[in-house]
Amino acid sequence: MKIRNALVVTTAVGTLAVAGAASAETYKIGITQNNVGVDSYQTTYEQAFIAAADANENVETVVLDAGGDVARQIAQMEDLIQQEVDAIIIWPTNGEAVIPAVRKAHSAGIPVIVTNSNIAEPGFEFVASFSGPDNITQGARSAEIMCDKFKEMGIDGEAKIVQISGQPGYTTAIERQKGFDDRLPEVCPDVELVETQPGDWNREKSQKVMEAFLVKYDDIDGVYAGDDNMGVGALNAAKAAGRDGIIFVGATNFAVGYEAMEKGEYWGSIYQSPVDDAEAALQTAIDVLDGKDVPFLNYFDTPKITQDNMSEYTKPVF
Amino acid sequence: MGALSKFEIGGVLARQGILIAFVLFMIAFTIANQRFLDPDNILGVIRSSAILGVMALGVTFVVISGNLDLSVGSMMSFSTIVVLDLHDKIGPALAIPAMFIMTLALGALIGFLVGYLKLNSLIVTLGMLSAIHGLTLTYSGGKNMDIADKAGTWFSVFGQGSILGIPVPILIFALLAAVLGTMLAKTPFGRKVYAVGGNGVAATFSGIRRARVVFMCYLLSSFCVATAGLIQASRSLGSQNTVGQGLELEVLAAVILGGASLMGGSGTIFKTVIGVLILGFIQNGLLLVGLQFYAQYVVTWIIIILAVWLDIAAKRGRLWSPIA
Repeated sequence: MKIRNALVVTTAVGTLAVAGAASAETYKIGITQNNVGVDSYQTTYEQAFIAAADANENVETVVLDAGGDVARQIAQMEDLIQQEVDAIIIWPTNGEAVIPAVRKAHSAGIPVIVTNSNIAEPGFEFVASFSGPDNITQGARSAEIMCDKFKEMGIDGEAKIVQISGQPGYTTAIERQKGFDDRLPEVCPDVELVETQPGDWNREKSQKVMEAFLVKYDDIDGVYAGDDNMGVGALNAAKAAGRDGIIFVGATNFAVGYEAMEKGEYWGSIYQSPVDDAEAALQTAIDVLDGKDVPFLNYFDTPKITQDNMSEYTKPVF
Repeated sequence: MGALSKFEIGGVLARQGILIAFVLFMIAFTIANQRFLDPDNILGVIRSSAILGVMALGVTFVVISGNLDLSVGSMMSFSTIVVLDLHDKIGPALAIPAMFIMTLALGALIGFLVGYLKLNSLIVTLGMLSAIHGLTLTYSGGKNMDIADKAGTWFSVFGQGSILGIPVPILIFALLAAVLGTMLAKTPFGRKVYAVGGNGVAATFSGIRRARVVFMCYLLSSFCVATAGLIQASRSLGSQNTVGQGLELEVLAAVILGGASLMGGSGTIFKTVIGVLILGFIQNGLLLVGLQFYAQYVVTWIIIILAVWLDIAAKRGRLWSPIA
């Protein structure tokens, strides 16, 4: 509640500041992204963000990219504060390390909206709103997809799975892993998660990790990967080793994952649109600046997708 | 020299300290997990290491000539993305040479800047690391690149094929290592590379055109990078833009681990290959042991330091050798 009250005050002050100006005044919104180009999700996000901003004549944007570098992102936050933008959207490179920079923007009276993956809890009081997917729910849903499939196959009493997680220290990776780890024993108490190793969001790294798992364990029934890029890397390793019948479940459905699902090699994933993500972030920033009552956590829905229901979804563009 | 410091190691072994380290680690990992020596695992690790290894072969030339190459990681991403993109546009038979030409052009540019304009190689290649990354992103628009028809292309042979049970990436790595190893050890060009890195002034007075040797080393390095990109692209038939990111440091680590001096003038292809294998087997061994992954970073570093120490100790014939 304390956080919420502080937010209301912040928002109110922000509203007072802009209230004097004409309502048609343009908002100058700065964004510092995590690492555009590292994957198609982030690239599509940036394009969608720019397109959404262009479509809104009351918004002017400063679009920056930290290139995955925490120090550069902190410097970009300072630049945006210097430029006196009306609001800052940040896609954190690291949930902990950016907190001081977020606090600085907050102290300068600039509302900060965190997008895609949240910063760590000690920083919440400096954040106007978070907009993005609920990664814990995503992890939990992946566990449910995996479990339902095992039940359908009748192996939920004995199945063994391995997990390939995202980059260590990255909030999305930690949250998805937590959601999965917590939910799995609730729905499928007899399924054993034998080992978790990071694939760093990287297909090649994930393939190497899976190769080692395949050597180490004779019996693997399922693989949960923190995103489809890594999931497909693991799938490639299993195919090369001639190990059939493994159930692959990912998250953030990528085009490669979608195609592998079409071929029947990959079971399911979580459908998450970078366009929704980008548009939600921009809208949240505008709502905050308009003085609307914005909830602290703005999740957009990310449904389950499996071979069974994939026809309801279009193939991801990334 | 006290009795303790005069720890003598046999003359033959003295030059092969890194090999001793390698064998020791292999034994240790095998004790930790029997499956480590499984033929499938061994072949798998060497196949994975082949990409890093091919790049390290070229960088060995650059390092021996007394320079650095930090651009190989992002250059490999460039090659991979370009060949995947061109595969669907002009077909694999044309895409491969086109990609090699583009990558060699980048190598020639670096070679020109370092060799003929005599710019510091650290600055040039560090700059090229970013510049080539930007070039790749511009080329691809930041999107992942995937071959549309993955099942129906012969392009997969370089990364996934095998001849007589040996994966093709390993054959390419072995063939290149043999050719480049011979070139470095047995040909006049090889001796010039050592001369330029060992004592540049003396090399000039011996009539060696240093700029040209340096230029050729970078061209060789970019050729190796293009080959690595080809294997990488063929292996996964799709790629992120950052596929080679960070590899430059692993490559350099492998070359230095193999005993090449950063000051130039020393190193061999054989030892670089051992350095590459040590790195590959450490990664794989730690995964098989199932060590918690934060600890893996630390242990990897400890093993590398141990290997370097054993190598140095074997060369000097003593384990304890303080500065001064």
